[in-house]
Amino acid sequence: MASQNENFFLKYFWSTDHKIIALQYMFTGMAMALIGGYFAYAFRMQLAFPGAEIPLVGVVTPHEYNAFVTNHGTIMIFWVAMPVLIAAFGNYLIPLMIGADDMVFPRLNRLSYQIFLLSAIILVASFFVPGGGFGGAWTAYPPLSADGAYNLTPLGASMWVTAVALEFVAFLMGGINFITTAMNSRAPGMKAFDVPIVIWFIVIASILFMASVGPLIAGAIMLLFDQQIGTGYFDARTGGDPVLYQHLFWFFGHPEVYVVLLPALGIVAEIITVFSRKKLFAYKIVLYTAIATGVLSFFVWAHHQFIAGIDPRMANIFTVTTVLISIPIAEMCFVYIATLYGGSIRFTVPMLWALAFMAEFLIGGVTGIFLGASGADIYFHDTYFVLAHFHYTFFPIAIIAVFAGITYWFPKMFGRMMSETAGKVHFWITILTFNGIFIPLFVLGAWGQHRRIYSYEHFPDLWELQPLRIFATTCLVIMLLAQVIFLVNFFVSMLRGKKAGNNPWRANTLEWTVPSPPPHGNFETLPVVHRGPYEYSHPDHDEDFWPQDAAPAAESAS
Amino acid sequence: MSDHAHSHGGSEGHEGHGEEHAHHGPEHYVRIWVILLVLLAISVLGPMLEIQVITLVTAFGIAVVKAFLVCKYFMHLDVQPKYVLYFLTVALAFMLLFFFAVAPDVMNHEGQNWTNVAAQEHIARALAEQGHGAAGEAGDFDAAGVFATTCGPCHGAGGAGDGAAAAALNPRPANFTDPAFWADSSRTHEHILTVIRDGGPAAGRSPLMAAFGAQFDEAQLEALARFVESLNPNAQ
Amino acid sequence: MMKPVATTRSAAGISTGMLAVWWLLASEIVIFGGLLASYIMHRLAHPEWAEYASHTNTWIGTLNTFVLLSSSLSAVLAHHAAEKGDGKKAAKYLLVTIGGALTFLVVKSIEWSIEIHHGYTITANGFWAFYYVAAGIHASHVIVGAIVMGWVAWYANQNRELQRVEMVGVYWHFVDIVWIFLFPLLYIAK
Repeated sequence: MASQNENFFLKYFWSTDHKIIALQYMFTGMAMALIGGYFAYAFRMQLAFPGAEIPLVGVVTPHEYNAFVTNHGTIMIFWVAMPVLIAAFGNYLIPLMIGADDMVFPRLNRLSYQIFLLSAIILVASFFVPGGGFGGAWTAYPPLSADGAYNLTPLGASMWVTAVALEFVAFLMGGINFITTAMNSRAPGMKAFDVPIVIWFIVIASILFMASVGPLIAGAIMLLFDQQIGTGYFDARTGGDPVLYQHLFWFFGHPEVYVVLLPALGIVAEIITVFSRKKLFAYKIVLYTAIATGVLSFFVWAHHQFIAGIDPRMANIFTVTTVLISIPIAEMCFVYIATLYGGSIRFTVPMLWALAFMAEFLIGGVTGIFLGASGADIYFHDTYFVLAHFHYTFFPIAIIAVFAGITYWFPKMFGRMMSETAGKVHFWITILTFNGIFIPLFVLGAWGQHRRIYSYEHFPDLWELQPLRIFATTCLVIMLLAQVIFLVNFFVSMLRGKKAGNNPWRANTLEWTVPSPPPHGNFETLPVVHRGPYEYSHPDHDEDFWPQDAAPAAESAS
Repeated sequence: MSDHAHSHGGSEGHEGHGEEHAHHGPEHYVRIWVILLVLLAISVLGPMLEIQVITLVTAFGIAVVKAFLVCKYFMHLDVQPKYVLYFLTVALAFMLLFFFAVAPDVMNHEGQNWTNVAAQEHIARALAEQGHGAAGEAGDFDAAGVFATTCGPCHGAGGAGDGAAAAALNPRPANFTDPAFWADSSRTHEHILTVIRDGGPAAGRSPLMAAFGAQFDEAQLEALARFVESLNPNAQ
Repeated sequence: MMKPVATTRSAAGISTGMLAVWWLLASEIVIFGGLLASYIMHRLAHPEWAEYASHTNTWIGTLNTFVLLSSSLSAVLAHHAAEKGDGKKAAKYLLVTIGGALTFLVVKSIEWSIEIHHGYTITANGFWAFYYVAAGIHASHVIVGAIVMGWVAWYANQNRELQRVEMVGVYWHFVDIVWIFLFPLLYIAK
């Protein structure tokens, strides 16, 4: 199918092959993660050593501090979690796992990556325009974001909004492609409940994204016009309403949490079944729970606005729905633990990451209950407690689950194994330092430390706790340094690692039946599916795994 | 399911065959188009009676009917797999959810223990303007009212630095009712005027204080500065 | 470029292209839905907007509604011709539809020039801000639709990819439906 005389540029930059596009998303996401990590380094160092000359950064001015914090959040969610979890894994896995030769719209797929890349370039470029990068927080609330006279970054703010809107367009295109592919292009024999959970979750996440992002796309256009033309949608002086923007933002923003959470949960599901050699406990319940979570996630958004001046009667309703949504997520945790129970567990690197995901996300989930209660939130709102809470959810999602996925599918992507030893060293340093960063921040938050403050020198009762900040920053620096281990492991293994073969993990799903890396077109003959994806240690089968496309031996019935 | 319940029985010869092709002839499409145009005419003529109920019914009721006709007969939504209709309906339902959950905040300007002062004053001013035509601009400048709407979101309607946005701001907006604020001898009349006109940074104050020189003329700025000074508890 | 096998499958019982178009419309529903919901809230909460709204020109709006409804008819007739396998006829009907789109845009730009000339600019007040953005986003859909229909008509004229006529038609009907709701919201309810 693929013509042989493709040159390097056409093959890696203009390809319509879903695997190349997936890798493009993954490497772009990794590059953006480095930028986001660099920003975190800059502002954490400023908090630990206010006003000091920071290596590789210099003195951070208050203005730069705001820009770093804002864009750290924006990048980590929109340019790391989204592209890697949904776009990279979605693109790579959907066609392979459902037994198709490509996405249904390969050229749309390429276009979506190109728009995404453009949005990333615009965002990074916003740091180099007069006034610098936008500093009005990743939520970009008006009036601060709507008027250059307030945020002092008239150009940076508009570039930020434009980049975010373009990114949404890219993911809408990608999402339509994912949903259509998964719905329509399944291999013969693959029924709805034979689809691997990770595919289901990526599709549900794409649907959630699609159903929630519309109001914010409208909101982004309105905000851009407020900034550049001087309309007053969000300006109380001209009859607009700044709280409306918050609703537009969070109506998308909260489902967005589940948009990135679901693929992460899906990756974890694949890994724990393979490495406990056991069937996923209650496949259908997991699936229905995910759908319920998705629906419920549309009913909770205003818990971000409890003290933003919303109608207090609404706050009561949203408290109830917010606390309700912890039920399906808790159920998901129980199901995963039940899958592990009685399995023959192998502590490979991907499995360690998957287990760490469950443990760390649990802390994030439990601390969320304090914040979901509107009464408690009056105290906790906008403190470091909130910050630590959502880092305990987003870090497991965007970093831990991503590492789990990358280390698990690396042999398939590049045909070679990663080093287990280096992987374990990297794992333990990352996990220990992660907790070292954010547990002190819970303490600081409960102490009353507010977010988005340049320096705590002038708050005597908070300044006492400076050692905690220095400790957190130290942990962050160690964690960032530890990523060098990963990068070295990643690139050295890509070139020199042990050959992986088709199915190094002895897994069932269809991507492991093809050569690693799979050729353009994936399957030599498109597979036919005979059973579900999690038939590990099946009593009727000699081996402890039973690939989905293996023809049933002899017995034609049952 | 309810295909036949909705069809325009009498005008059609093929009714009751349950055959999809009954709906597909060009004449049939033209007939639907004519119905749409008649509905359009009604929706334009209805409001001319100037009765609000009829306006609403003819404007929006007919829009719904038209949309239904287009969906069913032009888009053939009824012969698509059922789930298509379901997910489109769910998307629509989420928008209703969005409307009904946001409306209490944006539509109501007062509720249980809260008032949206800015919106109420904006409406009052706009209605007054419509009543008086465009006159009455500079002459009667209401410094207290402008303070409440323009400065109030941060500084609070009463100038106590407790506006709705105050909690999110650092440094906090100034509290003009605090004697300590006025104890600082640098806060002269000229200084207050400069801060309002050119913003905080121009006078070495908080960068969060924006410049309002473009919105008001000198006399209005003067009036605003005097109003701010009148909040000084020691001045009274 | 050859189409992947994936594109030709239809496990969900509907062609891949149509399925994608329906999902596209679902995402459009929430974009317009969010915008119109915001508009309606403001409109109901601001009694002073009634006076602003009274300056929109109902007759121009009616003319444009008529143009769009008629272009929808030609779009569905194009689909009918494509189903019969008559690509040339389908292309002709699509050209008529494109003509409708262009007429709509010309009328719209005349209308806007008049309004801007009278001082009803996008920054005049909240009503006009929503008016221009809602109609503007809708007009951008009209432009995109016209371009895509030109591309589909080009193929249809050679009797290729006739299934695309239905897809672009469904998109066009959706653009029509959005206008069916914008019309009372912006022009009639005064």
